[in-house]
Amino acid sequence: MKWRVIMLEKHSAYENMSIDEAISNRVAEGTSKPTIRFYGWSPSAVSIGCFQSMDEEVNIERCKELGIDYVRRLTGGGAVYHDTEGELTYSIIAPESLFPKGIHESYREICGYVIKGLSGVGINASFAPINDIVVDGKKISGNAQTRRGGVLLQHGTILYKLDVKKMFEVLKVSKEKISDKVIKNVEDRVTCVSNFSDVSMNDLCESMLRGFVDGKDYEFENLNAEELNKVNELGDTYKSTEWNFRR
Amino acid sequence: MNLNIFITKCAVLFGKGVNGFAKQKIQGGKLVYVRIRYDSTIESVEILGDFFMHPEEALLRIENALVGAEVKNRGDMLERVEKVVLSEKIEMIGISPSAIVDTIMIAVAQ
Repeated sequence: MKWRVIMLEKHSAYENMSIDEAISNRVAEGTSKPTIRFYGWSPSAVSIGCFQSMDEEVNIERCKELGIDYVRRLTGGGAVYHDTEGELTYSIIAPESLFPKGIHESYREICGYVIKGLSGVGINASFAPINDIVVDGKKISGNAQTRRGGVLLQHGTILYKLDVKKMFEVLKVSKEKISDKVIKNVEDRVTCVSNFSDVSMNDLCESMLRGFVDGKDYEFENLNAEELNKVNELGDTYKSTEWNFRR
Repeated sequence: MNLNIFITKCAVLFGKGVNGFAKQKIQGGKLVYVRIRYDSTIESVEILGDFFMHPEEALLRIENALVGAEVKNRGDMLERVEKVVLSEKIEMIGISPSAIVDTIMIAVAQ
């Protein structure tokens, strides 16, 4: 089985969600290879889990002022601030049959690729069920998975640099809570690659690639014409109020 | 799954027509909250949170199945949720049928 790899590209939140869904549809049809994709967010964005409420989780007004996108994901999980300079994101999209049947086991396997990638830049990380990766007990990566039409889609973040202040500005936390004490508390629970290594984003991505493709036959290839058409179609859905504010 | 009710319990009256709200962190699981409109029975309920459920669309069917249930009848609510979970082979991660029902019970007890 040959895999497709798409190396680091930055897209808007709507494009990123559309690309994942377009690939997932084509993999389900058997017309695209299983795909590993590394990407960033431009502009910075907030994504919320598919069962969350946009109004409850996101400070929409502040996002608009700062030019930050906001989007609902296909996957469950929590709200995430994706800084344009501070995060490497991956998606892995492939037939379910290539992974363990159990959700927990498949999280463990795919998070293992991330852990291997972090190890390549000298960071000793471990899996923290249900869906996190930690270093010294602090979260460095969050991951979310869905399965549709026989296809497993998992995407996840690798925190590169942490901007807690910005995170608090766009995620809904009462003003009283945005105190030095709370920010310190977050820094006690969350960490990032730059706390351990001066590796560049591109070199981190190369190391992640090695972690993900270990033992796999792969080639670098871009989205095909059908996928690009689907991305254009889906973009409007992911921008729509109907989708983003459905809960 | 055991429940950990200590973390967050929130009070009533949110949005148009909603007269119950509760939020709690499930022990060893995720955050779940409900918005509910009810009298003696559930008129509508929305289940939200940072949990995972496959297939995702099944949550709507769980919410619909709860409409008409008596809010004080825990067993009936649980049976309604479990029936959908079994018939649709729903996988839940970080949440459970009993966590959903217990959160509803908290919302209506406010």
